[in-house]
Amino acid sequence: MITFEGASKLYPDGTVAVDDLDLTVETGQTTVFVGPSGSGKTTSLRMVNRMVEPTGGSVLIDGQDVRRRDPAALRRSIGYVIQQAGLFPHRTVRDNIATVPLLLGWGRARARARAAELMELVGLEPSQARRYPHQLSGGQQQRVGVARALAADPPILLMDEPFSAVDPVVRAGLQDELLRLQEELHKTIVFVTHDIDEAVRLGDRIAVFRPGGRLAQYDSPERLLAAPRDAFVESFVGYDRGVRRLSFFPARELSLREDVVFGDDTGAGAATASMRGEPWALVVTGDRVPLGWVGAGQLARVPADTALGSLDLAPYGHTFAVDTDSLRAALDAAVLSPAGRAVGVDADGRVVGVVSQDDLGTALWSVTE
Amino acid sequence: MITETWDWIARVAEWGAANWSHPGDPDRGVLPRLAEHMRLSYLSILIGLALALPLGLACVRWKRLYPPVLTGVNVLYAVPSIALFFLMLPYTGFSDWTAVVPLALYTLVILLPNVVDGLRQVPDHVRQAAVAMGFGPLRRLVYVETPVAVPVIIAGLRVASVATISMVSVASLVGLGGLGRLILSDGFRRQFDAPIVIGIVLTVLLAFVTDAVLVIARRLLTPWARGSGGGGGLPRRRRRAAVPAGAGAAAGPEAADAERARHPAQTGTTAKERRPWTS
Repeated sequence: MITFEGASKLYPDGTVAVDDLDLTVETGQTTVFVGPSGSGKTTSLRMVNRMVEPTGGSVLIDGQDVRRRDPAALRRSIGYVIQQAGLFPHRTVRDNIATVPLLLGWGRARARARAAELMELVGLEPSQARRYPHQLSGGQQQRVGVARALAADPPILLMDEPFSAVDPVVRAGLQDELLRLQEELHKTIVFVTHDIDEAVRLGDRIAVFRPGGRLAQYDSPERLLAAPRDAFVESFVGYDRGVRRLSFFPARELSLREDVVFGDDTGAGAATASMRGEPWALVVTGDRVPLGWVGAGQLARVPADTALGSLDLAPYGHTFAVDTDSLRAALDAAVLSPAGRAVGVDADGRVVGVVSQDDLGTALWSVTE
Repeated sequence: MITETWDWIARVAEWGAANWSHPGDPDRGVLPRLAEHMRLSYLSILIGLALALPLGLACVRWKRLYPPVLTGVNVLYAVPSIALFFLMLPYTGFSDWTAVVPLALYTLVILLPNVVDGLRQVPDHVRQAAVAMGFGPLRRLVYVETPVAVPVIIAGLRVASVATISMVSVASLVGLGGLGRLILSDGFRRQFDAPIVIGIVLTVLLAFVTDAVLVIARRLLTPWARGSGGGGGLPRRRRRAAVPAGAGAAAGPEAADAERARHPAQTGTTAKERRPWTS
């Protein structure tokens, strides 16, 4: 547990970087510090490993003031990941990762064995062990940065905008990887970012900082999106927070319609009869693999015995996985579908049922209220 | 015309072969001059580097030290080399030190800023990562900043060595000077071009070979910078790496460092026309 007790940082020129911060970071959770530049989030992070000394108040780790510990020893016991990775250019990937174990006097063989372990953990190929940082891509460099921070198995991991220098696709991959690692390792992570989406994605708790180094709100991501405390937080989390908040509600709670899903050998007349006024029906194969949408008007124009599979079908767009996706994915699928309906599938890609935008709207209303 | 040129080359070569060395008198001939030239220049460069490293480390560690030290080194460089050689005579006589001490001090004007810039050019995120990993200031300097500075230091060493190899010749005015003695004593005084040509050619060759050795050394010492361009994988700000090297201008395929330079010693003029520092 990391506790900030009235921690402040006032620079000699009068700049207030952090103003009277009271906050508790829970053990084994990911806490994200988020805010615009100049809001003191990085400064606060660096108070934890004494890279910045508070000018007022204190920072405690498990009840002990960090100022009572030797800075170098303290830092070796805390993992640190920096923007752009900060890898040592003259050391191989393996030796970069082994940095802290070597500083702790582990001996080269043991440190390198540990480095190999970590490379596997963060998804790096063993063949990359003897490369130099400049031979790696940005995403790979950042993986090495994470591996290096974890090398001595520190209970606390500080991450200072670690993924902000890589492109969005790579960033999403690294975020997934971090979530997976955290599920396995349960570190106490403090993660700094200026990206609210990243914060919502990764954080168990989110601390929003406002300019002038003041804490604006400290809450779970759900609460933050549902009930921003003031206008600053509201504008910072963005005006689409309602939609983004749907990420927290599972799609499996939706009631899907099964009665407008027909096999491709069904006749047009039979389909029209069972649609009972629904404007769209989904046509699937015998294995319930989706084929496409057919409109009620189209069905009325063809002979009643025409098989649905032989008709010209509208594309079904992308589907959502009923068991694993969120309401946000379902809504997105419905919005993008030409029929205005989303197709829910199981883990094998077989159609479970469909849901219309109207039904989604009703569901959203009931779950988010 | 071609025949004449050929004859001339043959005559020069013949003189060189005839005067290469004299078994009876080990101090006469071309070879002893070359050996002397190498001894004087390499000794000066090594001493200069040995001074520049601790001085540079100190200047990075204590920032306020750098401006006065740099000014001192620059002022020293402005003293004409001939004057300095003569000033040394009462203390060191006709020993090698008369040439080596001033030349070593002159290399500082190139080596010191390169050591300091090299140490300072370590990217901020790398430095911060080192702090966050728990490196103390001294360990950081030894294990992170100095190795990262090696390409920049060697770049400075290349310019300094080419400049020094060229400048050694001036010391022939005080009876030292290696190949410079071929040029001055045997050549100009006797109005005879063979020793002059041989002196120049060997000086250029020596500079070329030395430069090549340094390039190879850099590749061996910094495998991590390989494949990322000629001079190391880091953005380099070598504001100062360009100083004199008349002879060195032709030295080596990678002599870009030296190309911008010109050399005061070859023409026997003073340091006044050297490039003023503005940083």
